Amino acid sequence: MKKFLVLLFVLVAALAVFADEVDWAIEDVAGKPGGTLFLDTTSGPKTMNPAWAQETSSTDIIGWVLDTLVHASNKGLAELPGLAKEFTAEVTEDGKTVYTYVLRKGLKWSDGEPLTVDDVIWSFEKIWFDENMTANGNAGYMDSNDELPSIVKVDDYTVQFVYNSKFRRGHESIGWTEILPKHVLEPYYEEGKFQEAWSLSDLDKVVASGPFVLKEYKEGVRVVLEKNPYYYRKDKNGVQLPYLDQIIYIIVKDLNTGRLKFEAGETDIYSPTAEEFPEIRAMAEEKGWIVRQGGPNLGSNFVTFNFNAKDPVKRKWFRNDHFRRAVAYAIDKQTLIDVLYNGLGAPLYGPVSPSSGFYNPAIEDLGFRYSLARAKKELKEGGFVLKGGKLYDADGNPVKFELTTNAGNNVREEIGNIIKENLSKLGIEVNFAPMQFNALVGKLVATGDWEAIIIGLTGSVDPASGWNVWRLDGGLHFWNYSPEVKPDMFDEELKAEYVVPEYEKRIDEIMRLQVSAVDKEELHKLFDEFQMLVAEHQVLVYTVAQNYLIAYKNTVHIYNPEPNPAAGALWAGWNIWKDQ
Amino acid sequence: MLKYILRRIILAIPVLLGVSVVSFMIISLAPGDFLDSYRLNPAVNADQVKNLEKRFGLDKSPVVQYFLWIRNILHGEWGDSFTYQIPVWDLIWRRVGATLLLSITTFIFTWGIGIPLGIYAALHQYSLGDQIAAVIGFIGLSIPNFFFALLFLFFAAKTGGKIFPVGGYISLDYDSFPAWKKFLDILWHVLGPMITLGTSGLAGTMRIMRGQLLDELKQDYVEFARAKGMPENVVIYKHALRNAINPIITALGFSISGLLGGAVLTENVFGWPGMGQLIIEALLQQDIFVIMADIMLVSVLLVIGNLIADILLAAVDPRVRLRLG
Repeated sequence: MKKFLVLLFVLVAALAVFADEVDWAIEDVAGKPGGTLFLDTTSGPKTMNPAWAQETSSTDIIGWVLDTLVHASNKGLAELPGLAKEFTAEVTEDGKTVYTYVLRKGLKWSDGEPLTVDDVIWSFEKIWFDENMTANGNAGYMDSNDELPSIVKVDDYTVQFVYNSKFRRGHESIGWTEILPKHVLEPYYEEGKFQEAWSLSDLDKVVASGPFVLKEYKEGVRVVLEKNPYYYRKDKNGVQLPYLDQIIYIIVKDLNTGRLKFEAGETDIYSPTAEEFPEIRAMAEEKGWIVRQGGPNLGSNFVTFNFNAKDPVKRKWFRNDHFRRAVAYAIDKQTLIDVLYNGLGAPLYGPVSPSSGFYNPAIEDLGFRYSLARAKKELKEGGFVLKGGKLYDADGNPVKFELTTNAGNNVREEIGNIIKENLSKLGIEVNFAPMQFNALVGKLVATGDWEAIIIGLTGSVDPASGWNVWRLDGGLHFWNYSPEVKPDMFDEELKAEYVVPEYEKRIDEIMRLQVSAVDKEELHKLFDEFQMLVAEHQVLVYTVAQNYLIAYKNTVHIYNPEPNPAAGALWAGWNIWKDQ
Repeated sequence: MLKYILRRIILAIPVLLGVSVVSFMIISLAPGDFLDSYRLNPAVNADQVKNLEKRFGLDKSPVVQYFLWIRNILHGEWGDSFTYQIPVWDLIWRRVGATLLLSITTFIFTWGIGIPLGIYAALHQYSLGDQIAAVIGFIGLSIPNFFFALLFLFFAAKTGGKIFPVGGYISLDYDSFPAWKKFLDILWHVLGPMITLGTSGLAGTMRIMRGQLLDELKQDYVEFARAKGMPENVVIYKHALRNAINPIITALGFSISGLLGGAVLTENVFGWPGMGQLIIEALLQQDIFVIMADIMLVSVLLVIGNLIADILLAAVDPRVRLRLG
């Protein structure tokens, strides 16, 4: 009997050792474990369900809790291993694209259940690839033929996604998608209640694969994240990561209060506005803060003109390249940066942020800098005539139009005021009246009853994230919607006048081609051309962007050597540590 | 009495229906809907927006939507929040605790200080004390809440958060506190928003009380009571005050409806997790069922508050009789 017990013990011990075998990811960092990082946020998560979360307030928290197969580098590119220790993309001879992901061994959910390839397959098959299961739909996973990949389970650790055509965005789409725990979420799915899963009423059901576990959420008060004991990373001394015991997000609605809390030492990291940045920088030494500046943010603010405006006279101006170029020349970007961002910003000339690895600096050489003389020259070339301080078109109509933006957005309102003033110097009368956001969206995407609008779109490192904006049949191609996409916007007369300029056709083509541009060089070439086309024709007249600004206590050791809009101070947060 | 209450409640039903029709239509007629932020999101394509419209029932006309809503309410279903994907009452109940804590303490602060101050001011009309009370009251009334709140927080931050906390609901190390300290911690945090809201309401209560009591003190029956040798305390508190308190009780009835209303600006600045923040977010995102549930809640409270005020009036003032007719 005793022998049997010993044998059993040995067997169990062996099994335990076997089960503990993990493919650790080793990080090049040597910090001290322990401590709590205090952050502030303006709003707590609305849901922990990654398929239905929309706002950053939700996705930021989800990002700590749910891991992905592939991670982003600090340039915002899908280059680093996550749950998958190896990942490859391969184009086969018959033109298919095979994405292969090899999971680490010994991965576990925070409740101790193993994280397996079945979780991966379930997540994609049942949730992410089903347009009814997610808020954003499944278009992001589709290739240029609008087809989804087939999923192949190769072995217990390897899964392949096979596209029938060339497809380049696999690691960004599949690789960056949260893997879901089948054992927890399947019951919700079977009941048809997946979208209610992990909503505020059952946050205790959330299990984690990322560095932190959601421990507590007091609505409107704070979010407490706690170290995930099963996380698969170690530092170079063999200490299991994350270093931090806890991350606490304090919910502070009011920005002034957020700053007061940072000054009082209650929070560790703070994102100052451009307005307060010089003050924060001046106080930094005395207070023991480190202040950093990164490149311009990825989002954009631009002026767009309606190619299909209801008034046939104005339509003609807005379609005129020279007119839009003149407006671009007339926008004093440096003044905007000084006034709006205290000088902490950058001018934008095209659709891709200078912070992105795909940015084509050649567009700056087109020379769309503030110059009223050049603006006047453009207008002249466009057939406009300046008479007695007022501008008239070739048919003698005085040039004036309605400009609007969403009320309450200080930056856009200020841009509007400055544009109005600058254009008046060209003899153009601009009637600038901001309106409520929903009313604006209604005009922009439903009725088409607008002339010029200042608006922005969220951006990302990859220009392809804007495909829905740039494709001719895109849902956000608002300046020149096709009558097929928005039949309600067009009456017979307008439909007859619908025109697609050559450059728009080429942009549309590029947006279709890039999907299958697996070759890096070819891809860069396409995007360079895309940016040149947009900038040359000023399809949208871009304005300015604020730089990434951050301040943090010197007791906090962030890992990102260069915090920037694509990867902020919290990038690779498992490596962040705090002096005790 | 019971019959009277029952009748009032039955009469309230058409009122509530009216409120629901008007507010539902106003929200529906406002431009745009919840999906507008999806429409401007480059990651969501047009088909998906249509898909979601259907799922949320936003593709139907407002009238159809209204009747569906009413039908669901009769089945006890108040709808899910679009943003949170959970039933609206789940969402609202989570905010009730903090909201009630703030409104009740503010209520006690306003009325507990306002009424005695008003009485004091009336009894010492034009004295230095009366003037000082008036000045304090008007200062509180004239400083906008959000600004007062910011000043308060600025003071708290400059003193290192030792005397008053820099906003929020609980301290950073709340979890390590024993139960009694947790309770005190929350009370400590309610002070800021309470004082902010309380000082703005103080002047009103105080001035009404003062004016009413002064009116009564000039009446003949007061003169008579004094003449027949009644002690001054009895004259004031038993006779004059009881007559003067009626409008205060009516106002009290109204303030019951405000108990769950929340205070948007003050909550925002202090980071107080109350109803105001939830509702303003819902309004901005046009999360219609959350807004409707809140409007109905406040309306019901208003009806109940008025009823309570009427009953209290009858109890306090023998001249008031509750009649059915």
